[in-house]
Amino acid sequence: MAASSTVVPVVATAAVVPVLSSSADFSNLREIKKQLLLIAGLTRERGLLHSSKWSAELAFSLPALPLSELQPPPPVTEEDAQDMDAYTLAKAYFDVKEYDRAAHFLHGCNSKKAYFLYMYSRYLSGEKKKDDETVDSLGPLEKGQVKNEALRELRVELSKKHQARELDGFGLYLYGVVLRKLDLVKEAIDVFVEATHVLPLHWGAWLELCNLITDKEMLKFLSLPDTWMKEFFLAHIYTELQLIEEALQKYQNLIDVGFSKSSYIVSQIAVAYHNIRDIDKALSIFNELRKQDPYRIENMDTFSNLLYVRSMKSELSYLAHNLCEIDKYRVETCCVIGNYYSLRSQHEKAALYFQRALKLNPRYLGAWTLMGHEYMEMKNTSAAIQAYRHAIEVNKRDYRAWYGLGQTYEILKMPFYCLYYYRRAHQLRPNDSRMLVALGECYEKLNQLVEAKKCYWRAYAVGDVEKMALVKLAKLHEQLTESEQAAQCYIKYIQDIYSCGEIVEHLEESTAFRYLAQYYFKCKLWDEASTCAQKCCAFNDTREEGKALLRQILQLRNQGETPSTEMPAPFFLPASLSANNTPTRRVSPLNLSSVTP
Amino acid sequence: MASVHESLYFNPMMTNGVVHANVFGIKDWVTPYKIAVLVLLNEMGRTGEGAVSLMERRRLNQLLLPLLQGPDITLSKLYKLIEESCPQLANSVQIRIKLMAEGELKDMEQFFDDLSDSFSGTEPEVHKTSVVGLFLRHMILAYSKLSFSQVFKLYTALQQYFQNGEKKTAEDADMELASREEGERKMEKEELDVSIREEEVSCSGPLSQKQAEFFLSQQASLLKNDETKALTPASLQKELNNLLKFNPDFAEAHYLSYLNNLRVQDVFSSTHSLLHYFDRLILTGAESKSNGEEGYGRSLRYAALNLAALHCRFGHYQQAELALQEAIRIAQESNDHVCLQHCLSWLYVLGQKRSDSYVLLEHSVKKAVHFGLPYLASLGIQSLVQQRAFAGKTANKLMDALKDSDLLHWKHSLSELIDISIAQKTAIWRLYGRSTMALQQAQMLLSMNSLESVNSGVQQNNTESFAVALCHLAELHAEQGCFAAASEVLKHLKERFPPNSQHAQLWMLCDQKIQFDRAMNDGKYHLADSLVTGITALNSIEGVYRKAVVLQAQNQMSEAHKLLQKLLIHCQKIRNTEMVISVLLSVAELYWRSSSPTIALPVLLQALALSKEYRLQYLASETVLNLAFAQLILGIPEQALSLLHMAIEPILADGAVLDKGRAMFLVAKCQVASAASYDPLKKAEALEAAIENLNEAKNYFAKVDCKEQIRDVVYFQARLYHTLGKTQERNRCAMLFRQLHQELPSHGVPLINHL
Repeated sequence: MAASSTVVPVVATAAVVPVLSSSADFSNLREIKKQLLLIAGLTRERGLLHSSKWSAELAFSLPALPLSELQPPPPVTEEDAQDMDAYTLAKAYFDVKEYDRAAHFLHGCNSKKAYFLYMYSRYLSGEKKKDDETVDSLGPLEKGQVKNEALRELRVELSKKHQARELDGFGLYLYGVVLRKLDLVKEAIDVFVEATHVLPLHWGAWLELCNLITDKEMLKFLSLPDTWMKEFFLAHIYTELQLIEEALQKYQNLIDVGFSKSSYIVSQIAVAYHNIRDIDKALSIFNELRKQDPYRIENMDTFSNLLYVRSMKSELSYLAHNLCEIDKYRVETCCVIGNYYSLRSQHEKAALYFQRALKLNPRYLGAWTLMGHEYMEMKNTSAAIQAYRHAIEVNKRDYRAWYGLGQTYEILKMPFYCLYYYRRAHQLRPNDSRMLVALGECYEKLNQLVEAKKCYWRAYAVGDVEKMALVKLAKLHEQLTESEQAAQCYIKYIQDIYSCGEIVEHLEESTAFRYLAQYYFKCKLWDEASTCAQKCCAFNDTREEGKALLRQILQLRNQGETPSTEMPAPFFLPASLSANNTPTRRVSPLNLSSVTP
Repeated sequence: MASVHESLYFNPMMTNGVVHANVFGIKDWVTPYKIAVLVLLNEMGRTGEGAVSLMERRRLNQLLLPLLQGPDITLSKLYKLIEESCPQLANSVQIRIKLMAEGELKDMEQFFDDLSDSFSGTEPEVHKTSVVGLFLRHMILAYSKLSFSQVFKLYTALQQYFQNGEKKTAEDADMELASREEGERKMEKEELDVSIREEEVSCSGPLSQKQAEFFLSQQASLLKNDETKALTPASLQKELNNLLKFNPDFAEAHYLSYLNNLRVQDVFSSTHSLLHYFDRLILTGAESKSNGEEGYGRSLRYAALNLAALHCRFGHYQQAELALQEAIRIAQESNDHVCLQHCLSWLYVLGQKRSDSYVLLEHSVKKAVHFGLPYLASLGIQSLVQQRAFAGKTANKLMDALKDSDLLHWKHSLSELIDISIAQKTAIWRLYGRSTMALQQAQMLLSMNSLESVNSGVQQNNTESFAVALCHLAELHAEQGCFAAASEVLKHLKERFPPNSQHAQLWMLCDQKIQFDRAMNDGKYHLADSLVTGITALNSIEGVYRKAVVLQAQNQMSEAHKLLQKLLIHCQKIRNTEMVISVLLSVAELYWRSSSPTIALPVLLQALALSKEYRLQYLASETVLNLAFAQLILGIPEQALSLLHMAIEPILADGAVLDKGRAMFLVAKCQVASAASYDPLKKAEALEAAIENLNEAKNYFAKVDCKEQIRDVVYFQARLYHTLGKTQERNRCAMLFRQLHQELPSHGVPLINHL
């Protein structure tokens, strides 16, 4: 036994390494495909179903290989042969979820594969028991205390093997998972990084790493293997860390090198667009994805969010029915149905479905937040707060929950109180204008106009989604009788609207024109004033005022009053609405003087 | 001066000054430890009257309550506890548990079946509604609710518990054996042990709801009354995190975590905990339908109010005001007068930081009385008294008010406020310069037993009032020259309020002030100068004043003058009259030391007017001393003498030793000066009297080690003896002077030009 164990690893590495070690570029897609097929097989043999699925999906998106190039199955080693029977039996038990039984028959096996399956069965058995225990624990306070009892033993054994450098890529992965479950995050990250070095093709290890990295700084200090898998990882983690621009760039590169058919990449791009609120693009991509892969359930909750935002009732209803037929006990399905009911204003039912989603997976973050939204709709603020708090407990970085809490307290007319929550949301999404506008509104309510102005200006500077920041800013300036700045804001606002050419009716457009007309009138710039007044006439609520102003202008002109030349005329209404000489200010860092946590 | 601390104003775990955690319904379950306690109870019931002596039984009964309420402890610890009170019973308990754990599941089931027997019979061993009876019934109920798998789990847990206990006791015996074992095996064992220990430390096991509540309320009241006895901030936080991990809905833990974070002045975490608490509280408020919508809105109001309190405590007054406005608005909308009352008090606290706003306070007190909130009302009265004392109201009115509020305290047994009231009286007497009365009040507080003692053994809590009273005591002793006693008091303070606890600043300042005064008396100005930075860190105004005093003593007149002028303007702005008068006196001293006593006069008169207006007798008599001295310099000793006669009585009665000495010295000087025009016989008489007075002054100065002053006195005495022709005495004094002069050479300042 001892003799063989010294020989075999050499053989194994000799056989496997040339295939599994992957280069950093995408020049050889065939090679990549081979690797993907191989790893899909390896992971399947070890019961790592999700990784297997991912690799297979990705392999599917690449062109098929001719027969001559097909990879022969990896050679069977002496050890493997010894453990073959036990492995076959155990794998069968494993597949029917009899983990303890599988572990029992694998005990004492030496081959890497059998050893991994042995440890993995024990781990899964522990997890399963933990879930069962949760149902009948001794008391409510003990709920959080139910632990996977197997974890500690596994850790001891695996750490011994790890120190002796006897773990292969899969073993390292399992060790990492055990460490993570024991909340030993630092050690877990190290082990996962090691795992990616040893076996870069195993997507599971990368994915675990994604979950453990919380910010960009951490990412910088990781020494990752230089392989093509790294690109997938980076793209994924950029999406997670809300660095959407970078993520999209990465995904575009991947598509360019030949992964255009991969449903995984397409879905990730759609999610990324969803995250930056580019709804139309995201919708079209999702529709495309549905055509390619009609029975896909993953990410459909995001799709339904998009449909919800656009109030596309029929499409959402279709999606809900469709998913319900495929599998109604999936978290995503419940979420879609919840969204559907919410759109139909049946909020009780919506909340019910979100609850169901949470029963299926208590750590499914989105459902908590969505449930919070539903309770808000039902005006049940306390339940909403509860739901949001739960969401935050699951993930402290959930900006939507923080924002939701802020909104709740705003509804309860506690503008100062909700500042804290909006600030948290803003910290998590510093470039999201919605939080900034919300912050600005709160400051406005608290009569802290300086801070409010800063917020609105910043919201505009980072790219305002709802296009309301400028109007609000203008109104603030108006209130403070800073007419020049107010006019400037209105001009920018109008420019903005026209330049993006949206057809959506903007309520505040008339207000802007009215103010500008008045402003120019006061400045005695008759031409500009009359242009604006004419614009006013196009709107119902300002028509009369516009006409009156036009008459006045005409009258004054007839009196022969020449436009005063000494009056500075810094702003002209862009007649062609092209970008003119309005000075553009740089984005200054948001510095709220009285900001306390 | 005793300040009414902001933290007293509101604390949701507290009604009328009594801390208690929210009491939910009974939620308890069976654990192996509880089984052991049940066995103990059962055994106690079974061993009738005769078997256990009365003494032992009493000890056991005392042991029971902490056992029932406290957190789970290991079996060996439990044995030890029982053994301490009754070894015989410990043995039988041990045997019973051993039988149960090493037997079968059936044994445990049988045990629980038998438990209810203690209630039956005509004369049951346990009364159903007694503490023990309730505990027994809870346990029986909880046990009968368990499902099969749970029962089995409980049994295995019991076996585990028993084995761990056995191992612990065996371990001690094994120690020697183990040391001889081979290294490798030991290593391996250790490795495993370490990993187990780590986890044991990280989670000391879940507490049941009852235990958790007990823990929280205990820690909360310790934090309030006696910080040093509470867990350290780090370990308390760890416990809380542990508690929250097991039950995230346990909202009170968040509040305690907020209090804990306040202790270490962590703005971020404390805000976070506070808001989390109220988010959670809103849930429980909504769940319990008893109050319905009302309860929910209530917690919202208090949430905003607490946020205001938090910002105020961290000195963000603007933020605090915004939060307070919000609280007031919501409270007004829902007609919650009680909450509005709290808001009003806070409004005063906030207003206090900028300008005096006693109108608010008066309103607050009236309303609080109207709505029957005695705690708030008398807290308001105390604040009002404090404020009025600074504003120069007469003592009798203040004492009247305090007496009224004292009635309220005793009626509602608000022991905390009684303490504050006495500490405040001490401070007021001190402010008015009545050292005897102050001393008496401080002693009274210290010899009083607290009504609510946290630990049964301790009679007093370590609250701010005690710190204040002790500080006054130390200063009073130091004034009288009893430095040993003062340092003894300070040592006690250091023990009771360790340097990192919240009231430590009080004694730190007091300590440094006393040291500073001693250094100044001794003429060690460099030492005093080094103390100034420390004082400034604790109290900037005091620090600047002392700095000026040092500068003056070092003859850096222009710097001192500049500093004093700045300080004067600042103190007038913030209406710190006490300091204004002190500064004025220093300025006057500056003037006459720079040989322009005429300019000093109006300044002194101003000081006199102020101290009379605010009835600060101590400062008034000091001003009179200065005034008399100025007159002496101006050459009207008769006037000075008559002025002194007016002031000398209160000084001798209540003043500090140093002042007494200075007064006597000045009297002697005036006597000599006015004797110049007398006929020789009368003159000799006057000089004799002066010498007597000088002797007295010398004694006083000797008490506080004022070598410089003693030197002057001796010099003066020598001159007088010379004039009287008493050569022997003259020579003695001259020699003394020479000795002192070598020790403390004077630098060109005319000796006589000193008060």
